[in-house]
Amino acid sequence: MTTINTVNTIPPDAMPAADRGGLWPLWSVLAVARFQIGRLLTPPRLALAALGVVFPAAVLWAAESISEDRLSREAGAMILYALIPEAVCMLGLLMTMCPAVADELERGTWVHVAVRPGGRRSLLLGTYLAAIGWTAAVAMSALIVALLLGVIRDGTSLAPVLIGLILLSCIGRGALFALPAVIVPKRALVASVGVALVVEYLAGFIPAVINQLTVSLRLRSLLVKWMGWRREVPIQMQLLIDTNPPWIQVTAVFILAAVLLLVAVLILEWRQFPPSEES
Amino acid sequence: MIALTHVTKLYGSVIGVNDVTVELGTGAYGLLGPNGAGKTTFLGLVTGQLRPSMGTVLVFGERPFFNARVLRRIGFCPASDLTERNATPQEWVRYLVQLSGFTPAAAAIRARRALEQVGLDEASRRPLGTLSKGMRQRAKLAGAIAHDPDLLVLDEPFDGLDPVARYELVELVRAWSQTRSLLVASHLLHEVEALHAGLAVILGGRLVASGPVEELRRLIDTLPSEVRVVSTNARRLAEVACRNPGVDTLRFIGDDTFVVGTRHPQQMAERIGITAREEGILVRELIPGDRSLEGIFGRLVQLHRGVAP
Repeated sequence: MTTINTVNTIPPDAMPAADRGGLWPLWSVLAVARFQIGRLLTPPRLALAALGVVFPAAVLWAAESISEDRLSREAGAMILYALIPEAVCMLGLLMTMCPAVADELERGTWVHVAVRPGGRRSLLLGTYLAAIGWTAAVAMSALIVALLLGVIRDGTSLAPVLIGLILLSCIGRGALFALPAVIVPKRALVASVGVALVVEYLAGFIPAVINQLTVSLRLRSLLVKWMGWRREVPIQMQLLIDTNPPWIQVTAVFILAAVLLLVAVLILEWRQFPPSEES
Repeated sequence: MIALTHVTKLYGSVIGVNDVTVELGTGAYGLLGPNGAGKTTFLGLVTGQLRPSMGTVLVFGERPFFNARVLRRIGFCPASDLTERNATPQEWVRYLVQLSGFTPAAAAIRARRALEQVGLDEASRRPLGTLSKGMRQRAKLAGAIAHDPDLLVLDEPFDGLDPVARYELVELVRAWSQTRSLLVASHLLHEVEALHAGLAVILGGRLVASGPVEELRRLIDTLPSEVRVVSTNARRLAEVACRNPGVDTLRFIGDDTFVVGTRHPQQMAERIGITAREEGILVRELIPGDRSLEGIFGRLVQLHRGVAP
């Protein structure tokens, strides 16, 4: 290399004066969450959300039409559980959490985020918050619409149970989908569907240690406990639920989510995307 | 400020940069190289987007990858256009400033100030999708400077701009570089020259030269260059060419064409032209040395490899 001595000398400046509070990582995360919510407020996304809101009510209405009578509280709870904390939350999180990194790469905004201090983790955690907020809002709206339909006897008493399950479903599964989002960003949706099927719906129903690591076991167990169905569940089916008290189930979901997010953040902090992979 | 020591970056079997060693002190620098030379990879390493496969990258004395202390002091404006079309410049810049860890109130103030600085205050509330490319470039620049970095890194900042927008942006960047450090990647020599920046020339992933523009120009001028002549009396003109000082090589391609290697291609071309006119010799082609950037790069590579004298 030919090196010629250089050049203009400017005294190095001190660190920029900081208007940063002690909670500066929190500001970054909240900024991302707010920005991602803004991105979700587009006509196609709102249309999808509206579909998610009316879909459970439509299924309930169809079920009532077939039975020709109002649904029992138990049957209503089972249907709503399958439709809202499971289906609506799962689909909502697939749409919002999976593209956490891929979307940035496609838009060419990844580079803007990656050069900010803590930008990568803020992107992931902020997107996670936005995904939870958006999905939970859609799911709760779906619950309200379904209950307002009035096809379930004593339906309003189900609201606290299902709201709790919706929140836990979003918290646990959002974190679960964070992993494919950072490991295989461009195939995150496909990978997440695979993870959902294999982990949540296959491993989750294996009566062994492995199902302790799934969100679906915790949600099922909480549904049984909060609905007071413990004694009514057949002995064979009791293998598919956990008998520990609700606070343990809730804590397990939070711990699972924290561990999954931590791993996802570490992977993302360490990832490199060659310029050719962007947009 | 920036120190790369034997840095190689590989993307699988593809080389991004190859064994680059360079030290850039505080000040303004242009990273010059044709498309695909490795400039973006170089900037990716400096701005902590990429880790070197081999060697060490230090910015402000520390490794930039996964280092919030260093990243806080860097502002980066990438080459790609802003595709965030629905957000306004104010929202976009405020978002970036908050990502740098500022409180929402401080971020709003800094965003407004930065947009004023780049002359985008009036358009700051229009969606980015409705702005011209020049305005979006300014918005990107505002995002890069709003958190008050010590080092501003720009990747092809003038690409695709019309002459007026280019001039205005050059002035902006030049004003910035009066007080802070600057690293600009470009494939256009005159853009870097306009910034009065030192140069680092990169080609094929290798750093082939670095230094002030004037020094590099002098260096380039001393490199041999070829003059190609096609004439009805090529032998007579070759004889004249050989009498000139600084002729390194001369070869004939057929009876009517010869190529002369010289360190003074312009003077050589002028001399041949004058002789041809005086003696009434028809000259069909007279092509002085390759002054294109690629030609200059090519000769710098020759020098780097020790091929050129």
